[in-house]
Amino acid sequence: MLEVSLFPTPFEVFGVNVGLSVVISWCVMAILLTGLTLLYFLVVRRMKPVPRGAQNVLEMAVDGMHRWAEGKVGHAADFVAPVSMTLMTYVFCNTIIELFGLPPATDDINCTFAMGLCTFVTVNVTGLKFRGGLRGRIQGLCNPSPVVMPIRILTDLIAPCSIAIRLFANIMVGGIIMQLIYAVAPVILPAVVASYFNVLHVGIQTFVLGLLTLVYVSEAIE
Amino acid sequence: MTLGIIAIGAGIAALCGAGAALGMGNATGKAVEAIARQPEASGKINSSLMFGLIMMETCAVYALLVGILIVFILGAKA
Repeated sequence: MLEVSLFPTPFEVFGVNVGLSVVISWCVMAILLTGLTLLYFLVVRRMKPVPRGAQNVLEMAVDGMHRWAEGKVGHAADFVAPVSMTLMTYVFCNTIIELFGLPPATDDINCTFAMGLCTFVTVNVTGLKFRGGLRGRIQGLCNPSPVVMPIRILTDLIAPCSIAIRLFANIMVGGIIMQLIYAVAPVILPAVVASYFNVLHVGIQTFVLGLLTLVYVSEAIE
Repeated sequence: MTLGIIAIGAGIAALCGAGAALGMGNATGKAVEAIARQPEASGKINSSLMFGLIMMETCAVYALLVGILIVFILGAKA
């Protein structure tokens, strides 16, 4: 029988209930940090003027992200692109582990809400920084006329909830559909469908999260 | 009896898909027209279309979430 719950699976560490998704995201973060430290010492410290191999891939990723961000937010890209890339890496790695049979950490609304709060903080810090303090930010909020200011504040406050619920619902629904398919045809069909729901869908959601961060930032600094 | 009413509720939640589909079809059709008129602006049109589609998809996903919660959480209680 299919079980769906909004509450995170309990998991105890030293007698404290922290939830399974938190422990999984700790493990993913440990693996990511180890891998990135290795990359730093093996590739970044030995950068060559003519890139080869891994350096090529890294430069393509960082440069592609930077150019994408520049097209959306202009001169704020130096500040926003690393934040957006970090969020995207975190979400992608935490969701793609579903391929290895582990429950994804983003299948918990607390995790996705944390992502939404990160975006909210990024948007407001960038807005304050690039519009010249609180005064400029408030002027930006009452842009066409001061009447719309409450509505724009409400839009800004709803943005993290919207990001959280979108990511959570998409990942949860992907998981439910995969469980249903495993129940119907456990042999060949899941391998075909998983290539969409566990790989491509994760990529799309990661892309959407990065795009939304950039778009909200560009609204805040315009 | 209660289970039937819960199923009707989930069906009503799924009606949101009609609205999202209308919006998506309208937006994509207009974008295709715009690209046909001005093929050199296709990059900008595509990125705005993508943002709009994400917003509409969000609306449909909310309905999906409501439907799933109705079926699995209310349905398990009934």
